[in-house]
Amino acid sequence: MSGIALRTRSPRRLRFLVWIFARNPSTLLGLLLVAAFLVLAAFGWLIVPDPRDATGAMHLASKLLPPSASHWFGTDEMGDDIFTRVVMGTRTSLWVGLTITVIAALVGTPLGVAAGYFGGRTRAVIMRITDVFLCVPGLVLALAIVAALGPGILHGVVALAIVWWPGYVRLIEAKALTLRAEPFVEAARTMGASDARILATHILPNCVSPLVIKASMDMGLAILAAASLGFIGLGAKPPAPEWGAMIATARSYMPEYWWYSFFPGLFIFLTVLGFNLFGDGLRDILDPRSARG
Amino acid sequence: MLGVLSRRLGLTLGMLFGLVVITFLITNVAPADPAALAAGPDATPDMVATIRHEYGLDKPLPIQFLRYVGDLARGRLGHSVVTGHAVTTDLARFLPASLELVLLAMVFAVVVGVPVGMAAAVRRNRAFDHLVRILAVSGMALPEFWVGLLLLLVFSGWLGWLPTGGQLSVATAPPAPITGMVLLDALLEGRFAVFAEALRHAILPAFVLSLPALAAVVRVNRAEMIEVLQSDYVTAARAHGVAPSRIVGVLALKNAMLPTLAMIGLRFGWMLGSTVLVETVFDWPGIGLYAVDSAVAGDFKPVMGATLAIGVLFMLANLLVDIAYGWLDPRVRTASS
Amino acid sequence: MRRRDLLLTGSAAMIGLRPRPAAAFVREGDRKTLVFSGNQPVPVLDPHVKYDYSTRMMQQSIYDALAKYVDNPARVIPWLAKNWETSADGLTWTFHLVETAKFHNGDPVDAEAVRYSFERGLKLNKGVAWMLKDDLDPSGIVAVDAHTVRMQLRRVFPGFLSFVPWWFIVNPKQVTAHQANDDYGQQWLAVNEAGSGPFSIRRWDPQAVMDLAAVADYWKGWPEGEQKRPGGVIYRVIREPAPRKAALQRGEVDMVTDMTPQDYDQLAKTAGIKVSSNPGMTPFTIMLNTQHGPTSDVNFRKALAYATDYNAFLQIENGAARLLDSPIPAGMFGHIAVPDMPRQDVAKALEYLAKTQWPKGGVTLEYAYVAGLEVERQIGLAMLNALQKLDITVNVTAVPWPTLVARGLKAETAPAMIAVYVTPVSTDPDVVASQYTSSAAGSYWGMHHLQDPELDKMVAAARIEPDQAKRKTQYAAIQDRIVADQPAIFGMVEDRRWAMRDYVQGFDFCPVRLTGEVDFYPMWIAAS
Repeated sequence: MSGIALRTRSPRRLRFLVWIFARNPSTLLGLLLVAAFLVLAAFGWLIVPDPRDATGAMHLASKLLPPSASHWFGTDEMGDDIFTRVVMGTRTSLWVGLTITVIAALVGTPLGVAAGYFGGRTRAVIMRITDVFLCVPGLVLALAIVAALGPGILHGVVALAIVWWPGYVRLIEAKALTLRAEPFVEAARTMGASDARILATHILPNCVSPLVIKASMDMGLAILAAASLGFIGLGAKPPAPEWGAMIATARSYMPEYWWYSFFPGLFIFLTVLGFNLFGDGLRDILDPRSARG
Repeated sequence: MLGVLSRRLGLTLGMLFGLVVITFLITNVAPADPAALAAGPDATPDMVATIRHEYGLDKPLPIQFLRYVGDLARGRLGHSVVTGHAVTTDLARFLPASLELVLLAMVFAVVVGVPVGMAAAVRRNRAFDHLVRILAVSGMALPEFWVGLLLLLVFSGWLGWLPTGGQLSVATAPPAPITGMVLLDALLEGRFAVFAEALRHAILPAFVLSLPALAAVVRVNRAEMIEVLQSDYVTAARAHGVAPSRIVGVLALKNAMLPTLAMIGLRFGWMLGSTVLVETVFDWPGIGLYAVDSAVAGDFKPVMGATLAIGVLFMLANLLVDIAYGWLDPRVRTASS
Repeated sequence: MRRRDLLLTGSAAMIGLRPRPAAAFVREGDRKTLVFSGNQPVPVLDPHVKYDYSTRMMQQSIYDALAKYVDNPARVIPWLAKNWETSADGLTWTFHLVETAKFHNGDPVDAEAVRYSFERGLKLNKGVAWMLKDDLDPSGIVAVDAHTVRMQLRRVFPGFLSFVPWWFIVNPKQVTAHQANDDYGQQWLAVNEAGSGPFSIRRWDPQAVMDLAAVADYWKGWPEGEQKRPGGVIYRVIREPAPRKAALQRGEVDMVTDMTPQDYDQLAKTAGIKVSSNPGMTPFTIMLNTQHGPTSDVNFRKALAYATDYNAFLQIENGAARLLDSPIPAGMFGHIAVPDMPRQDVAKALEYLAKTQWPKGGVTLEYAYVAGLEVERQIGLAMLNALQKLDITVNVTAVPWPTLVARGLKAETAPAMIAVYVTPVSTDPDVVASQYTSSAAGSYWGMHHLQDPELDKMVAAARIEPDQAKRKTQYAAIQDRIVADQPAIFGMVEDRRWAMRDYVQGFDFCPVRLTGEVDFYPMWIAAS
């Protein structure tokens, strides 16, 4: 969000924003969901009944209770409040999604810029390597990497970052390629500007918008991928309140104690949906020329 | 045409090589002790040392790589500790079951997605369209394993209409494995009761698997349909009083078919990857469940075998779509001008 | 807030919904097939190589032994041996075989088959070998004639007969025909059979479905009569408890094990299903690695034992369990309630911890349990919770059974805490006491790797003590000593439960059968 230089001193900009959100209620929904997610991640521990339920507290006398006034999402098999665990899990999801996206972007963007701007053999080598990483579905590759490294949420994050960076290379390479052909870049080169200067002043700043759009959408997808690994059993160790791992445990309690698998999954869905819609909306704001479906 | 074909083929072979390199790196560089990983979870320290020497894991990497490639070329993918069989045997057994699901999912995505997308375009910006668009967006965001569990909860747990998992019920003797796909084999053997039962077991997992593709197909068809409806040709036809449904039925379908099929072809690989989740939920004995069970048990060779198999199929599918698109595209372009 | 109300009404409505009525049991022509489901596969069937509950369940169905365990309390009845006698000095056992027994391929079960099987078991030195290898040598087994076998023990061993039912008899002709370089036919016998038991293999997929056909002309006949006997038995592996339960409710399987306590409680109230609940004799313990890591210090182990919340064990089991007051389960000969049996006492735990290298805790211990067993997982979380008070972190990991055993067999790789049920294979207290001797290291009941030479001597002496009163005192001392060594956190004995459709008949609970193991031979399905 800090990458978007929106100077609201211009009333036109503000009206534009309002118009975007009014025209596209789904973008507004996305914004609200993302905001709610961030608020819960930051301040969730303040609103939950007892944060210790997320770190291994036990209340066996009140296990597997259905949703009620005192336990909005019911309790799990150790008696922990599921609402607490789901909300505290927001924090885990946030750092997981952020780490994966940031690492992928940090690795992929320079490579993409190099490939798009310098072209030639550099481009060929980088793109071929990138293509190779894209020749296996991401989840399968991540599974293989985690299988080699061992289970655990850290290894899952590393594996998913490895799976994710090629996407950034491709995106940024395409953008850098188009930018290189732009007249102002040509002009800068004929005036003798060094490559470094051109990259810094012309190429990189213009890559920011597509980068931010992709990163926003990727946050949700990365969280989903991490939860998927958790569901398989290769994610966080108990009693960590990771959404995917919670659903994995909840399977043993289906169908009687359905709330146990319902609510964590609902949160995953809303989080991913939020980031998807928000990313779409960002695209409208930052890059309205791109074709919409 | 031939030039394009050979170039694509060359690219694919290059990527195949790259895949082999990646799997090699994961196997031999990533873990702390590749020998322990190769020896498997049941190995004693002596066995690990023997493996280290036998597999040449104490030799420099390039030599190890050559050995690795040699093994792959001879179809030696190792042994699975969990099943006790050779990985290649297991793959041959489990892959058809996954393909079965993926094919069903693809069929479903097309058969349902195309009409729904078109209907949404016709009723553009009305209630139905909004609903469809919400579902299309949700389709990408829904965790497949969660949807699978919820569907099981409703259709199996509460309503009891569909089974809880597996490919066939416990005591049904499976049909002779001609293709390895139970549905097909049951038909080939003429055992329709078994076919029906297998279908009942396959409905939910295939549906869940199809969701992202369904969402994509709906989007594409809706977009194509909107374009067609707005085109000059259609406006002119309307002005002449030609029935709109005929326009819809013929022209839009023709235009949308190609991108739809291309999308589905590309989705094939992703769906194969999603079997890792869907097969776990539904206990479907396919390559995804095989990979997961092995990964969780710390049994490494099957995971690599499955990764290679899925990767190869993924690349093949992409290659075929590329070729098909190149072949068909010029004709469509001239047809719709 | 409307969403919450909706959920509440939804939950209420849900309770009224029941799954559709069950489908009928499987039919095999006119006969019914009993379908059983558990979570453990049977990768190796060979009766002289390994045993665990699922494996032995299959072995007991496919093979016969000289004698057999039935009933509760367990007793030994003649089987392949119609009777036996001991010599006056107690060193020689003579078994007289029935004349009618034959293997599935038609060969008669003769003395040579018995001799070969015992020799094979001893020579392979795996699985059941530990039971007899110290007291019986292959050269001491003689086939006197076609139906008489004489076994000469090295020394007097009163418990000898209690182990005989677990030594199954294989057909030497079939095994040697499939031998591959001196392996005693192990490769072949892992997935094939050479037995004489009431069932034979029809379809064998060790990870998923094991389909056994009833042997129509089984030499011992069928207890429920030829009319009612089943056409076969199917053991279906379903690894997750939820689908296994659903399969039972829908009638896709007839009997299940490995369910959670909640499941059993709920199934007991379900129409058409009955739950057999039996006080068990299987101790659940958390074995502690006595050779490596912080747990190698006995004070540290004591600290863990006093920090444990034993009450949580009972709550997790929903009350269907009893805390152990001794390493030897109540009901066994020589059992005493050990004084100073650790119970939760955090102050005492901290006292013991202060005597170790880690008076303030600050270590991480691994708690490994069998993947798929929900109770063990919850107990791990309970340990995690309890040990927080000692500032000890617990890493709860799920490990598939074969991997867990492989790791646990070596002291260097064994986890600090391993959750295991170890069923005593006979009613003699020696089977439990010897689990804590140094000879146990290398088997799944010895993953604590306790090395106490004094205890070894005590157990060896008590094993062969003929005077019952003296033996009792010896075992009392042994129990005290084991608790003092604290090689494990002694947890509880849970009720052994199986859930089955109410048309399943003939189930015979025998406490020396391993956790989920049932004997299929006397079972049948009542006509509806």
